[in-house]
Amino acid sequence: MESETIIEVENLAKRFGTFEAVKDVSFSVNRGDVFGFLGPNGAGKSTTIRCLLSLITPDAGSIKLFGKSFKTDRSAILSNIGSIIEKPDFYKYLSAQKNLEIFARVSGAEVSKKEIHEMLEFVGLGDRGKHKLGGFSHGMKQRLGIAQTLLHKPDLIILDEPTTGLDPQGIVEIRNLILRLKNEQNKTILLSSHQLSEIELIANRMVIINQGRSIVGGSVSDLLNTQELLVRIEVDNARATAELVQKVYPEAMLKINSDSELELTFVKELVPELARLLVSNNMNVHAIEPTRKLEDYFMKIIQA
Amino acid sequence: MKKFFILLIISIQFGGIAQEANDILSKVVTKLNTVNDYTVTATVKANVPMIKILPSKATIYFKQKDKFKVVSKGIVILPKQGFTEINTFLANKKSYLAVAGDTTKISGVLTKLITVIPNGESSDIILAKLWIDTKRSVIMKSQITTKSNGSVATTYSYGDNVTYGLPSQLVFEIDVKAFKLPKSVAADINKSTVEKKTKPNNKGVITISLTDYKVNTGLSDAVFTKKK
Amino acid sequence: MLLKNTYNEFIKILSKPRSYLGIGALTLLVGIIIFAMKADGRSIISFVTSSFEQTLTFNGDVLNGNLIAFIILQMLIVHIPLLVALVTGDLISGEAAMGTIRMLATKPISRTNIVLSKFIAGAMYTLFLTLWLGFFALFVSRQIFGTGDLIVLNSDGLVILQDADVLWRFGLGFCVAFLALLTVSTLSIALSAFAENSIGPIVSTMAIIILFTIIGSLDVTVFDNIKPFLFTTHMASWRSFFEDPVPFSSIIQSIIILVVHNIVLVAIAVYKFNKKDITS
Repeated sequence: MESETIIEVENLAKRFGTFEAVKDVSFSVNRGDVFGFLGPNGAGKSTTIRCLLSLITPDAGSIKLFGKSFKTDRSAILSNIGSIIEKPDFYKYLSAQKNLEIFARVSGAEVSKKEIHEMLEFVGLGDRGKHKLGGFSHGMKQRLGIAQTLLHKPDLIILDEPTTGLDPQGIVEIRNLILRLKNEQNKTILLSSHQLSEIELIANRMVIINQGRSIVGGSVSDLLNTQELLVRIEVDNARATAELVQKVYPEAMLKINSDSELELTFVKELVPELARLLVSNNMNVHAIEPTRKLEDYFMKIIQA
Repeated sequence: MKKFFILLIISIQFGGIAQEANDILSKVVTKLNTVNDYTVTATVKANVPMIKILPSKATIYFKQKDKFKVVSKGIVILPKQGFTEINTFLANKKSYLAVAGDTTKISGVLTKLITVIPNGESSDIILAKLWIDTKRSVIMKSQITTKSNGSVATTYSYGDNVTYGLPSQLVFEIDVKAFKLPKSVAADINKSTVEKKTKPNNKGVITISLTDYKVNTGLSDAVFTKKK
Repeated sequence: MLLKNTYNEFIKILSKPRSYLGIGALTLLVGIIIFAMKADGRSIISFVTSSFEQTLTFNGDVLNGNLIAFIILQMLIVHIPLLVALVTGDLISGEAAMGTIRMLATKPISRTNIVLSKFIAGAMYTLFLTLWLGFFALFVSRQIFGTGDLIVLNSDGLVILQDADVLWRFGLGFCVAFLALLTVSTLSIALSAFAENSIGPIVSTMAIIILFTIIGSLDVTVFDNIKPFLFTTHMASWRSFFEDPVPFSSIIQSIIILVVHNIVLVAIAVYKFNKKDITS
């Protein structure tokens, strides 16, 4: 069954003065996707996301959300989107509850005070509702930002660097939340992040942009599986292991990192066979793990 | 000898003129002295250059010999002098020299001009000209020149209270040459500095109509005590 | 959505400490003036009437609540624009600096409505300041000093207005004064649409008022053509209600100029904000 296209961007371009922030970006996001939006600093990610949210007017190209255009259906589109751009900013002189009430009032949905309080509980700020934002930590503000995003039950959620500045626990919480939203509520999520490992774990589709252009896009598994797996092996004798692997798999690309560690580029399906080979040859294998595959893929794309 | 007779005749004439003036003034003062106190309602119409004010009402209280008070709900503009000063001045015969002059008709009434010159330097009044209706012993017109206030001309009209010498109307003509507007925050900063260059009128007129006299009612001194 | 966001704007204005700074400053200023007048008001009156008092006396209660209210209005009309701009100049640019404009602009409310709701809220705040001033200046002064006829010193002399004839003049005067202050509010909000920080629009608004006031007061032919169209020329129009006769045609002209200023400034702000790329 063909999935509904929620976001459709074609040949997007935006210039600020003489600087071309976005030259030619195209991608599409389907309903239910957790879509990774990747690119190095200055690639044009924020500009593209701001165009998606009508914060910036593009110079060229087209954007359709839910099959509609901003020119004719801005209100209808935005009432179905929740977003966090960079860090969430709130009114410091108001309490968390009041901040959510302010944004709920203009979200296009009827949100009761009870629902606001429940949302605060959901993001772990139930007891801080009456506290002013001035005393909130970055992590608390991020959670409040998530609350603000979800308050009006949008179908599309756009998160720009949602885990920036969070501690590891916070990062895990955000990841789990995103997965819950996808799996339990079938939300469509567009996620821009530098945490490539996070993207790799939760995104099913992605696009990589660089210097204002979309470079490659599609299903994460398809994109990553066209390349071989990078496997890190920890053994007692890396040199001996390398010789053995090279003899059996001459096309594998090996790199010895130390006396006990080596990396090799390998086909994913053959990893179990590799493990059996090492063990059967009395190699003491302490660890076999794929390492930062998306990161490597990403760096290759960017540097190409 | 001839010179002696001429001088004698002149001094007799002058003495006669002075005596005549004093007699006339005496009668006026006597009449005014029949009023121990009075209360009157005054309606004041001021037609003074550089001042715009609607007719306003006040109550005037007077008690011999110089207690005077004006009470009004609103603001009432009155001439600084011209109410009781002349009466008080005339009461002391020794303080002035009075000389009779010509007769003139004022408001259809034949009047005798009496010129009053203060004897000493201490009085504020420099010169007073009084046109007196000798039949009724009332002042019909006065022109009083003082050191502090310049010259004020006053025309008197009488009604029912003429027996007391109390006027029913006073018309004051005052000199406004000295009026100047202070340049301050109170000024209209947004108006251009010179808008109308019409020749200013140097005289202002204040008309006071006096009605409902209550004479010799035994006013208490407390009426004249300044309330805070 | 306009009403909802206007309500939001009220909440924001009411919650900001600087909103109360203006109200507090106004209360303090008026209190000081009332105290000073109570202590030595007669000398101020004498300053105005001194040259008349050589030949005239002013009987009756000259120093009364109506006069105090008038003096307060006169003295504060220069300072209140700053108190207005302090709050309204922050309405758009303050949110840009805080980052909340970004959050707001991603909501399903049009940019025009965002700006209009801020104008409405700014206008309400200005109205409140005007009413507060009116309450203090008129009501409190009349309670302390009593009522009476009002002496007003105009450029062509003294006008003495009867007590019964004063209240409607104050009422209409305050209405026109509100319109003048509304123009200041609108100007500061319009400037706020161009800025990304709070202080710029506030300082710019005061600079424009000072510049236009200076141009308006210079007796130079080259400025004569533009003076009638400067809004500062008409900011003191409220005073015309205290002339006799009241120059209604001149006041109506001022009202038209001020209303046109407001409309144009709102249009500029709406246009600018709609076209603006929000990058903060």
